[in-house]
Amino acid sequence: MSSAMIFRSPGLRAAAATGILLAAFGLARAAAPTKDLLVTAAKPDRLFIIDAATRSVRAEYHVPGAEGGIATIVISPDQRTAYTLVDRMERIVGIDLGSGREVFRADLSTPGERVKDFFALAITPDGKELIAYELPTLLKPSEYVVEEPRFAVFRTTAGLEAKAVRSFPAPRRIHMLLIRPNGRSFYALGFDLYEYDLSSGKLLGTRGIQQWQIPDHAQPDLLAFWPVTEPTGIFTSPIYTEVKNGAESTPTTAMMSLDLKSGGLSYFDFEPLSALIFSTILSPDRKHAYGVYTTLTSVDMAGHRLAKRVPLDHTFYDVNVSSDGREIYLAGTNCDVGFYDSASLEKKAILKLPGCGDQALSTLRVIHGR
Amino acid sequence: MSELKPTNRKAELLLEAVAEGHVAEVLAMETVAGCATTFDPGWEVDPFGGVASLCQPMEADLYGCSDPCWWPAQVPDTMNTYPNWDSGKPSAPADWRELDAVYPKK
Repeated sequence: MSSAMIFRSPGLRAAAATGILLAAFGLARAAAPTKDLLVTAAKPDRLFIIDAATRSVRAEYHVPGAEGGIATIVISPDQRTAYTLVDRMERIVGIDLGSGREVFRADLSTPGERVKDFFALAITPDGKELIAYELPTLLKPSEYVVEEPRFAVFRTTAGLEAKAVRSFPAPRRIHMLLIRPNGRSFYALGFDLYEYDLSSGKLLGTRGIQQWQIPDHAQPDLLAFWPVTEPTGIFTSPIYTEVKNGAESTPTTAMMSLDLKSGGLSYFDFEPLSALIFSTILSPDRKHAYGVYTTLTSVDMAGHRLAKRVPLDHTFYDVNVSSDGREIYLAGTNCDVGFYDSASLEKKAILKLPGCGDQALSTLRVIHGR
Repeated sequence: MSELKPTNRKAELLLEAVAEGHVAEVLAMETVAGCATTFDPGWEVDPFGGVASLCQPMEADLYGCSDPCWWPAQVPDTMNTYPNWDSGKPSAPADWRELDAVYPKK
């Protein structure tokens, strides 16, 4: 199946016709001021590029083999390619963001071995390698054999029949990979936080999440499917625990922060559990984290407290923030993308995606163009 | 494991395997048959014992839960056995009436 693209603006059609599409999207190194472009996906197989300023869809692409929807989206460092996890988490497809052309494909499964990658996907800072998390199962005539999970590394230049160039053992229950800026190692997030050397596959360290050792805090619960670290390079996530006070215990929401550059991992409690939050994003000035689920929450990162919370029209799964920190972008679940004021948390606009397919668990990314 | 008491033959076999050091043969079925990656009960109650803090409306959560087989008791195994369950039905709020029950293939 070939990829196809649908242009939503006459200007873009003209740009494509004259072969200057890449310039139309622009790159971070361009001299002219850049603005935020959002990348999200929706069923059945659509990848969208949205102009945040005009609340309009710049481009809509079909992703081959993505009929069941698109899960994780990872953007190449040069912002030219979106790598998507599709085919019920058995295939990675790279889509050129300028043309919509399929430029990379890796089928994880082979005849006789079914391989699933539960959301975990990362790209190196030089854009040369993709890291996937593979859960393989041998499909024998009369039995299934569970194999050991592994990390698999692919070269992004491998084209449409990419095969792993190396793989190495991985722990179970991983659902997120986060590459470190030095490109030499990556984090794997699951029951605990692991760090692996990208070249050798050596386990460099394990830090407790389920096994955290925080006085008077019970074993925590963490849901982290959205590997979003823009614009700060810091991954944040709500984390749920119980804080013991004598014979009593209080369900509590804490904030987890992982600085990919320094490796710093920290937690702080910010409220007795009063509302669920699925995912958070840190503001560019690092003063607030914005969390989303059926409410939109602002957390004071310095004061370790809930700053503000407003109800939403419906549940959203994932959140991102504008480069200037003034707007919050909401996505996931249904077909609308929300634009909210980061100070007041008031709704500014809702964009319904063409076709109104569900975004479900798709990642919401922010890239930059003109 | 000492705090658990087997209530059927399969559970007894599991304990025997643990006692005999064969734990590696009893692995969590992450992607094997069906797709039970979680032991969460599904759309019954929220952490507060009610339903107000579940995803609202339920249709907002339907594909987010069925795609990774989050609630295997409530929605079909779309990862392996019924991958076409939602084909032609991209919007849960609009298409939920078309999402049918599934039955084992004969």
